[in-house]
Amino acid sequence: MLAYLGRRVLQMVPILFGVVTIIFVLLRLSGDPVRLYLPEDASEQQVAQMRASLGLDRPIHVQYGIYIARLATGDLGESIRYRNQDVAGIVLERLPATLELAGASLLVAILISLPLGTLAALNRNRLPDLLSSAVAMLGRAMPNFWVGIMLILFFGIRLEWFPVSGRNGLASLVLPAVTLGASMAALLMRLVRSGMIEVMSQDYVRTAKAKGLPWHSVVVKHGLRNALIAYVTVLGLEIAGLMAGAVITEQVFAWPGIGRLAIQAINSLDMAIVQAVVILASVIVMVANLAVDLTYALIDPRIRYA
Amino acid sequence: MPEVRQPQRRTVLQRVALVLLGLALIASAGAQRTLTVAQTVDIPGFDPHNHGLTAVEAVITNVFDYLLFRDANGDIQPALATAYEQVDDLTWRFTLRDDVVWHDGEPFTAEDVKFSLERVARDESLFEHDSFQQIAEVEIVNDHEVLIHTSGPDPVLLNRVSRKGADIVPAHVIEAVGWESFSVNPVGTGPFRFVEWVRDDRVVLEAFPDHWRGAPAWDRLVFRAVPEDATRVGELLTGNVDIAVNFPSQDVARVRATDGADVISQPTTRIMMLLFNTADGKATADPRVREAIELAIDKELLVEVVADGFGVPVEARVSPGVDMAPMKYYDRNAYDPERAVELLAEAGYGPGDLTIALQGPAGRYPGDADTLAVVQVMLNDIGVNTTLESLEWSAYNSRIWGADNVENIALIGLANSLFDGWFALRALPCDGAYAKRTNWCNPEFDQLLADAEFNLDLEERARQIEAAYDIVAEERPMIALFQIDALVGVSNAIDWQPRPDEMIWAFDIQPK
Repeated sequence: MLAYLGRRVLQMVPILFGVVTIIFVLLRLSGDPVRLYLPEDASEQQVAQMRASLGLDRPIHVQYGIYIARLATGDLGESIRYRNQDVAGIVLERLPATLELAGASLLVAILISLPLGTLAALNRNRLPDLLSSAVAMLGRAMPNFWVGIMLILFFGIRLEWFPVSGRNGLASLVLPAVTLGASMAALLMRLVRSGMIEVMSQDYVRTAKAKGLPWHSVVVKHGLRNALIAYVTVLGLEIAGLMAGAVITEQVFAWPGIGRLAIQAINSLDMAIVQAVVILASVIVMVANLAVDLTYALIDPRIRYA
Repeated sequence: MPEVRQPQRRTVLQRVALVLLGLALIASAGAQRTLTVAQTVDIPGFDPHNHGLTAVEAVITNVFDYLLFRDANGDIQPALATAYEQVDDLTWRFTLRDDVVWHDGEPFTAEDVKFSLERVARDESLFEHDSFQQIAEVEIVNDHEVLIHTSGPDPVLLNRVSRKGADIVPAHVIEAVGWESFSVNPVGTGPFRFVEWVRDDRVVLEAFPDHWRGAPAWDRLVFRAVPEDATRVGELLTGNVDIAVNFPSQDVARVRATDGADVISQPTTRIMMLLFNTADGKATADPRVREAIELAIDKELLVEVVADGFGVPVEARVSPGVDMAPMKYYDRNAYDPERAVELLAEAGYGPGDLTIALQGPAGRYPGDADTLAVVQVMLNDIGVNTTLESLEWSAYNSRIWGADNVENIALIGLANSLFDGWFALRALPCDGAYAKRTNWCNPEFDQLLADAEFNLDLEERARQIEAAYDIVAEERPMIALFQIDALVGVSNAIDWQPRPDEMIWAFDIQPK
């Protein structure tokens, strides 16, 4: 197991290297951050001065070399917007907010999808199944952005049950987590349903029922646990989608996370920040996928890693 | 014995109740008055010489002071400097207040003025350097008097020391902790001092009781960053914020219909303009074509459609409060489609003969994509074929500054942070920033600007600048469409008029 873990961690390094290189080149081909940053009628002299002070007047391979060399020492470069501030610090400072949102959304998604999907599977083609399928379709169809604003309008402004925006305690986490989790719940619910339908028709489930085991033991221990492999796989894949969806949700709810930072940095071509965010996001996605793989070993005793 | 103990217990309880009641009264009397403002962006830090955004200065202007400060009408008033006089062509004397202390209790002296202004004037890597490089040296006469030496005669020095970038910072603090630390933990002389900054979330300031103007009316000042329009409107409607800037014009009626808040419009210095490529061979090379295009645009209707009437049609880059901007071009709409068709015919173009490319950004300025779309329709109405390209800001910027440049017409919005008419024309000379976009070069224009740049005779300078504006209006390398009004949502619980420089200076804001 440890050897497997070691191999997987080592594999992350070339992947990160490739991602960093691609983003580096793409950013520098995307346009001129200096012109974006200065006023629209700034003089050529001012532009040249700023470009030189940011090191952007050097050839691209020289810039790349400097960047990689600094990266090795943990220096993530200089942000155009956040002058004289540590880039790693700026990005990591916002990480807890996004993790909080992602975690809460995941929880919402799981809490909705598992019971609803199971209910649908057990009542196949009857009313609960049809209702939850309709809900699932709606959930996937409604854009994140729109759901968020609707929730604000109704629960934030009209009923004033929850704060409209900002990160200020548990109450302010509810609406954004529901927004982000709802769409994922819709997808996962269908997975649970199809997984459970397949599993519940298996012989060992019939045996369990025949043995007279209590209902919850049959459904959860014998049924759900075996249906979960596909579920967990998709969950892991969806984590990347969660990071993407968080970008929009954070914007709508003024949630101070990495998504907001990323949008701002991309719009202003703040290269150091975009690169740092991409590195962090890659690490998170890779770690999440590793966690998913390890979870298989927990769920399915047939799976063991060498 | 039991009869004696019971009255004692009741008395103890009574005493406890009285104390609790007293505490509650004290707590409610000491309830903090907090002013909350919702902006679209967060600050990048508290370095006043290095951010460049009006929205950021709107926040940090509460923490720092300048030598001179514009009041709500846009007039320059004394601030850290009580008096000023021009000693000679290159020297100005400023007398400083002697009753000012920094937020850490240290006294403010001339040393701080020298440190602040010389930094921004000399450090080329700073964003604001370009507007202050005209200051050569700040000479300390004594603790409360400085002489500012300029590298050439500077007719707008007073404008310079009263705008963003001229904030005075404490030498003793920055020399001790450095800019990296100061950016996140500032010390100033302003009416509010720093409490905390949660990035992308909020800036929290508290009243500085020893401020030289007196203590402000608010105990706490909070600036929140809420980027989404609908969310910002929501925060105002629920009363969670008292001021919401960049208010979307389509929500004005909705908010005005409620009791709790109103939307106030305030002219800004930002003018929406069209840049022409006048190079030979281009469709917009002929000045008659450019005049026809301007006459084809009904600017009043444009403001009505694009900004719900919150704007003023203009014929040059002028706005109220900007010195030496000839106001004869303000609030003018020369709409004349028949004359436009005539001019096109004179230039040899019948209906359908001419094709013009329109380029502009989308999402950078309020209503920018809509503006271009309306202009397109208006041009089609005079028989001009058009193509439209509305790009996201960074893509648009790369396009017009890159190899492809401007095809025919490019939309741009230009503000005036120096509040000076000369500043508005500085990109147009033959070696100016826009020369390669417009391919327009007029030596007479260049001479007028060169003469006016260092002209301390303000009347003559005004004449020169007006003559330069007239040349631009005649030859049209750029035309102006309208001045943008800022819309600000304001709670009915506060008394405040938004300022023309878009600063949110809380000292002026009063609770009703």
